[in-house]
Amino acid sequence: MMELLGISAPLLFGQLLIGLINGLFYAMMSLGVAIIFGMLRIGNFVHGAMYMLGAYGAWFLANLPTIFPGLGLPAVNYWWALLLVPPMVALVGAATERVFIRRVYDLEHAYGLLLTVGLGMVLEGGFNVHFSAAGQQYGVPEALKGGVNLGFMFMPIYRLWVIVAALVVCLATWYVVERTRLGAYLRAATENPDLVRAFGINVPRMLMFTYAFGVGLAGLAGVMAAPIYQVSPYMGQSIIVTIFAVVVIGGMGSIFGAIVSGIMMGVIEGLTKVFWPEAASTVIFVIMAIVLVVRPAGLFGKDTVSHSGNDISNVRRESILENGQLWLIVLTGVGVVMPFVIYPVFAMKILCFALFASAYNLVFGYGGLLVFGHAAFFGSSAYVAAHAAAVWGLPPELSILAGVAVATAIGALFGWLAIRRQGLYFAMITLALAQIVYFYAVTSSWTHGEDGIQSVPRGKLFGLIDLNDTMNMYFVVLVVFLAAFAFITRMVRSPFGQVLKSVRENEPRSISLGYSTDRYKLLAFTLSAMLAGLAGGMKAIVFQIASLADLNFMTSADVLLMTLIGGVGTLLGPIVGAVLVVTMQRELAPLGAWVVVVQGGAFVLCVLFLRKGVIGAFEDFLARRANRARDK
Amino acid sequence: MTDKPPILQVTDLRGWYGESQALHGMGFVVNEGEVVTLLGRNGAGKTTTLRAIIGLLRRKTGSVTFHGQEILGLPAETIARRGLAYCPEERGIFASLTVEENLFLPPVIAPGGMDVDAILTLFPNLRERWTSPGTKLSGGEQQMLAIARILRTGSRFLLLDEPTEGLAPVIIKQIGMVIRALKERGYTVLLVEQNFRFAAKLADRHYVVEHGQVIDSFTAADVTTKLDRIQTYLKA
Repeated sequence: MMELLGISAPLLFGQLLIGLINGLFYAMMSLGVAIIFGMLRIGNFVHGAMYMLGAYGAWFLANLPTIFPGLGLPAVNYWWALLLVPPMVALVGAATERVFIRRVYDLEHAYGLLLTVGLGMVLEGGFNVHFSAAGQQYGVPEALKGGVNLGFMFMPIYRLWVIVAALVVCLATWYVVERTRLGAYLRAATENPDLVRAFGINVPRMLMFTYAFGVGLAGLAGVMAAPIYQVSPYMGQSIIVTIFAVVVIGGMGSIFGAIVSGIMMGVIEGLTKVFWPEAASTVIFVIMAIVLVVRPAGLFGKDTVSHSGNDISNVRRESILENGQLWLIVLTGVGVVMPFVIYPVFAMKILCFALFASAYNLVFGYGGLLVFGHAAFFGSSAYVAAHAAAVWGLPPELSILAGVAVATAIGALFGWLAIRRQGLYFAMITLALAQIVYFYAVTSSWTHGEDGIQSVPRGKLFGLIDLNDTMNMYFVVLVVFLAAFAFITRMVRSPFGQVLKSVRENEPRSISLGYSTDRYKLLAFTLSAMLAGLAGGMKAIVFQIASLADLNFMTSADVLLMTLIGGVGTLLGPIVGAVLVVTMQRELAPLGAWVVVVQGGAFVLCVLFLRKGVIGAFEDFLARRANRARDK
Repeated sequence: MTDKPPILQVTDLRGWYGESQALHGMGFVVNEGEVVTLLGRNGAGKTTTLRAIIGLLRRKTGSVTFHGQEILGLPAETIARRGLAYCPEERGIFASLTVEENLFLPPVIAPGGMDVDAILTLFPNLRERWTSPGTKLSGGEQQMLAIARILRTGSRFLLLDEPTEGLAPVIIKQIGMVIRALKERGYTVLLVEQNFRFAAKLADRHYVVEHGQVIDSFTAADVTTKLDRIQTYLKA
């Protein structure tokens, strides 16, 4: 057998081929994401679901006779699917743009993010309810069966076809966008949509077609993927975060960059599988981090103009809702009564997530930084605290402290990397970095993979208070929560908090006033990670478990939802949001597989109808009343 | 003044950027074939007026009629297709497009636009830069391209926002010649200017804008007699 660097040649070439194929799918997907991102300024999280839709479309057409027996429908073969399904997915995309995406163009990026995540959950969750998570097989078309022996390896013809077809699609797209009149409209509208409108071009319609086209590409990738991978509801979710990392690596606004880095990342991932299998799932994210340090604009990106500040909070400083001391007293009162009214364990869950959301609000609400990977801090602290208590036998206070220390360190590192970019880019970067932690926990041995760390002992606080007593545990959690709340209140009112808000409202102006805004952003980021770690560590001790769910990006989405639904940049918003979301999750639990669909729907509804959140809406009401009183 | 109704009539136009009001009841008319200027200091509301007319200003009230039809509140793309062409102050040359692509970007909305040869006769410099990316041009070349590309569209009504800003005297002279040539061809031009000496040589009538309102107006014939008054208006 031939050997290269101690690796057998068939294995090496086999993985290279898999890598190349994966890379071409990455390229086709990130092409669509990059075009949509460039034109619409939307991080299209529903892209993975559209890919899945394409694959199911092909499967569905092939199985028409068995799905609708008695109608005498023919089975539609692969070639027709290739022709029919992408336009159908594009049509779904056009409708999605018209009904949903269009409404968030002028809003803060967080809304687009949450909206598309929600739509993805509804689609994927819906397919999961209907088809269950198990994959469906889709046969390789007759004409492309078999393979050729290349001497050093066996090459299946279908894969050869995918390589050629995907390359042609990528290059054709590149040509259309970069070299044709139609592409010139797209590029011009990316730069200055208003002016293009003023020339008489219907830009809103163009945006709809662009979105439909990008999504159609995902549908096409889905059809092509159907015979290679299993057709399953979550086939898109597993690659969507990788796609975003690829777009970051390729560089903003660079179609060429998306293609090249897509292919490159696939191949590198394949090679990593050969030489260092454990690192294969994280290598792309690590490369992204390195690229960010060396070339913040991405490999092929031009540096983009940073977006001007977006004031997401409508809070009046003098509002009664922002009176920290008053609410500290109120919350203490409510907290003392709570375990006698509701189930104490549930009350502790609310407190942990209220703290987590308040920590998130510190960086997103007050700093205006759209972080989308806070699960990394919450979860890493949970794992470390659980490990410290379960394996090292540390007392609970030291276990939590160890978790907080690790979360803070990771926060400082991630923050240092991520603050190089702004807006949606920042969100994607934090998400990709968080995925490194997630995959580390999946593959590492001390984290016990899917099982997580279970049966974590609660132990005795300071060797005195037995936390196995639920009430003892509850009051410890309450005291920690109140202390953190007081700390956040104090910090927001401090000069540091004021500078932070000024960065949120107008960063260039803050810089011109002489503030080194990056330092403030980094400090806020790190403090937020620390507090998120406190919430995570405490959660691990309370529920005696640390699991992959704590690190999953859905947890990051949940905390964003809590903050938005309660009211961004308000003192009480995250707490109210945590109560609402945690309660909703509990009430929905009996729905089983439907939970994801309903929760995704909640994301969408929140973005469409409750943008300012409960506290924000109430604050508006108070502000109007105050204005009326003043006018009289 | 002609007996025909004005081609563009702006009445009691008010406009806002967010909460702050920028236009406080602008009113003026432009007749067919005229070159009319809006003069005024920085921040007087001249650019905002153009943006309101072409439909880029979101919050606005009042009335703007073009050929007798109300266009206020229509989307920008519809207004443009009625025959108004806009050349923005910052010129709006697209960096990711070549000179050729920039020139061909605005769609032709009516027959009778200039063909490329006619345009290149007016702006000979552009021929040499044909395949350069938009931002590699000098300020003067960018300005010429910005005017050139709206001449292709067949629009007969041009909104030009400070075409001389920041340009060398020789280029300003060239742009003056272009506007005069356009007037001879029957184009109607609404010109926003701070450079009165430039505008005085071209325009038939002038409006002075201050605090989002027209505070005075005079014709080309009045210029010599009212020179002092005009200069006080424009003195910073």
